[in-house]
Amino acid sequence: MASISLSNIHKLYPNGYAAVRDVSLDIRDGEFMILLGPSGCGKSTTLRMIAGLETISAGDLHIGGARVNDVDPADRDVAIVFQNYALYPHMTVADNLSFGLRLRNVERRIIEGRVATIAGMLGIGDLLARKPAQLSGGQRQRVALGRALVREPKAFLLDEPLSNLDAKLRASMRTELIKLHRTLGTTIVHVTHDQVEAMTMGERICIMKDGVIVQVGAPMEVYRNPVNTFVAGFLASPPMNLLHGMLDSDRISIGDVVLPLPQSLRRAFASHAGRKVIVGLRPEDFHLKADAAPVAAPIEVVSVTTEVLGPEVILVGTLKNSSAELHIRCPRDFRSEPGAMTVFNYDLSQLQLFDIETTTALMRPVKI
Amino acid sequence: MFGWLISSPSLGLLFLVILFPVFWALFTSVHDYTLIAPNFDTFNGLDNYMKAAGDPEFRHTLRLTAFFVAAVVILEFALGFLIALMLHTVERFKSVYYAILLCPLLMNPVIVGLIWRMFLHPSLGIVNYLLSLVGIEPVNWLGSTKVALWTLVMVDIWHQVSFMIVLLLAGLSALPREPYEAARVDGASIFRSFWHITLPLMWPVIAVTLLIRLIFAVKTYDLIYIMTRGGPGVATDLVSYFIYRTAFVSLNIGEASAMSAILLAVILGLTAWLHRYMRSLT
Repeated sequence: MASISLSNIHKLYPNGYAAVRDVSLDIRDGEFMILLGPSGCGKSTTLRMIAGLETISAGDLHIGGARVNDVDPADRDVAIVFQNYALYPHMTVADNLSFGLRLRNVERRIIEGRVATIAGMLGIGDLLARKPAQLSGGQRQRVALGRALVREPKAFLLDEPLSNLDAKLRASMRTELIKLHRTLGTTIVHVTHDQVEAMTMGERICIMKDGVIVQVGAPMEVYRNPVNTFVAGFLASPPMNLLHGMLDSDRISIGDVVLPLPQSLRRAFASHAGRKVIVGLRPEDFHLKADAAPVAAPIEVVSVTTEVLGPEVILVGTLKNSSAELHIRCPRDFRSEPGAMTVFNYDLSQLQLFDIETTTALMRPVKI
Repeated sequence: MFGWLISSPSLGLLFLVILFPVFWALFTSVHDYTLIAPNFDTFNGLDNYMKAAGDPEFRHTLRLTAFFVAAVVILEFALGFLIALMLHTVERFKSVYYAILLCPLLMNPVIVGLIWRMFLHPSLGIVNYLLSLVGIEPVNWLGSTKVALWTLVMVDIWHQVSFMIVLLLAGLSALPREPYEAARVDGASIFRSFWHITLPLMWPVIAVTLLIRLIFAVKTYDLIYIMTRGGPGVATDLVSYFIYRTAFVSLNIGEASAMSAILLAVILGLTAWLHRYMRSLT
């Protein structure tokens, strides 16, 4: 068990490409931290630097309080689970599990005991004699996980471990990882590009883009208060609707649609009055009933198409006299013909505004 | 039917240049067929085989060939694998190294033989000259019965080691990268990674490389013809050259055919064994 601390970490490749720039992040002992971002954002590179598989160009990395920049991966006492499992193809499952322990000259009796325990825990006890080629994707994933677990390391580093699994298996492995974390209490750093994984698994999410950290926070915190349009548009599916609008002292105009600003927000946004802004509207903040939210404003939406998902319906529509598309979460019995108009009541307390040039969020009062 | 029709020209050609000569040789090997009396009048069964098997000179060439093959295959493999491992980690000028290494392989064995015969000439060759510069006595590279076979082994390594390097390097670059990273985190040193991951994963490639090199080494003929003609005495009289001498110097085609058949059987046996061994690995 150990905390992991990154201070001003840089990764510069010889060709001049900066994969990670000035990343500072404190991961608490026993925390489940998610590194989230689109591909190429530097999240895997960051993880590999923690593991010691990539050198750190600048900055300091501490694991359990000790600076480990120049410590060999073997001596950092962390375990990594790779996206494509990286099992030793010529070894049996049992050998795969025990390899790390054998390299550390652990007593045979102890190795056998630990392998049996972990295999039982992950439900791979009857696969021990098989080779990786004879296993399914899910089973391989378990073996890869088992190989990390069996060493009882200070921290687990998971590099997109679920992305090669099918949707159903991914969902169940997600739950298992959460349970595992609860049982072991070990620090976990989990890299993913899947925002569902990030939202459901992490205690905190660190969102990265182009090699820098954009926002760090608890899942609902980053979801409710995204620092910029990137985070707003990246989290959740469908993501936040981002529309161009005009901010006045008491209202926001999005094309022909005018939303009155609630009293509580007027003062916060007063200094920005008269400027063009990006308006962020979450799909679930639109309601069919007028009394669903205390401060609501009617918005007329022209239906383009509806996506019936079962538990809910996503309406893809446009604002009246506008081509800008927006997504709206509707109850499962909602139906709308293309071209038909529906009046929704938007919950104004959830309104988010972003600077049109810097794309950063305009500060909202903490409590509204 | 159509498939057979369009492949028949190639099949016909293969039959003409491979199957026919093999069967002709097998047919000849059970007759008393010499170039003095080139006819199939006398059928003598396995006499040629018995004669070959009992011939101490033939047995000597077999032993010599076995030694030569073992020496070149083992040394070329060891050297080739070492260079391949080194080249595998090289990032800059890889193509330059490749080009240099491939040069010997692209040369005709006759040219290789001639070049080395000049290099190794006892009094005029550059090798002895260079040795004399550092005070080493001239060596009779091809004239001494003790040195000649090793000289041939050395020239063969110079000529053929690139073949090993190229094949092994291709195998190395096809290895997955992830298990190495997993092993690094698991705590494996470079040597243990090599022993526990590279070697087992490379086995199929190694086996194929060894097999191919082995078959070609058994058939070594041109180097001998150009450099030593089997001499001094019979010190470098490898089996291929001995068969040639039996056929075209002693003019005894029948017995030479029998020897060829024995050699063919040995190579076939080796191939079958290695093939089965490889399949058991995968």
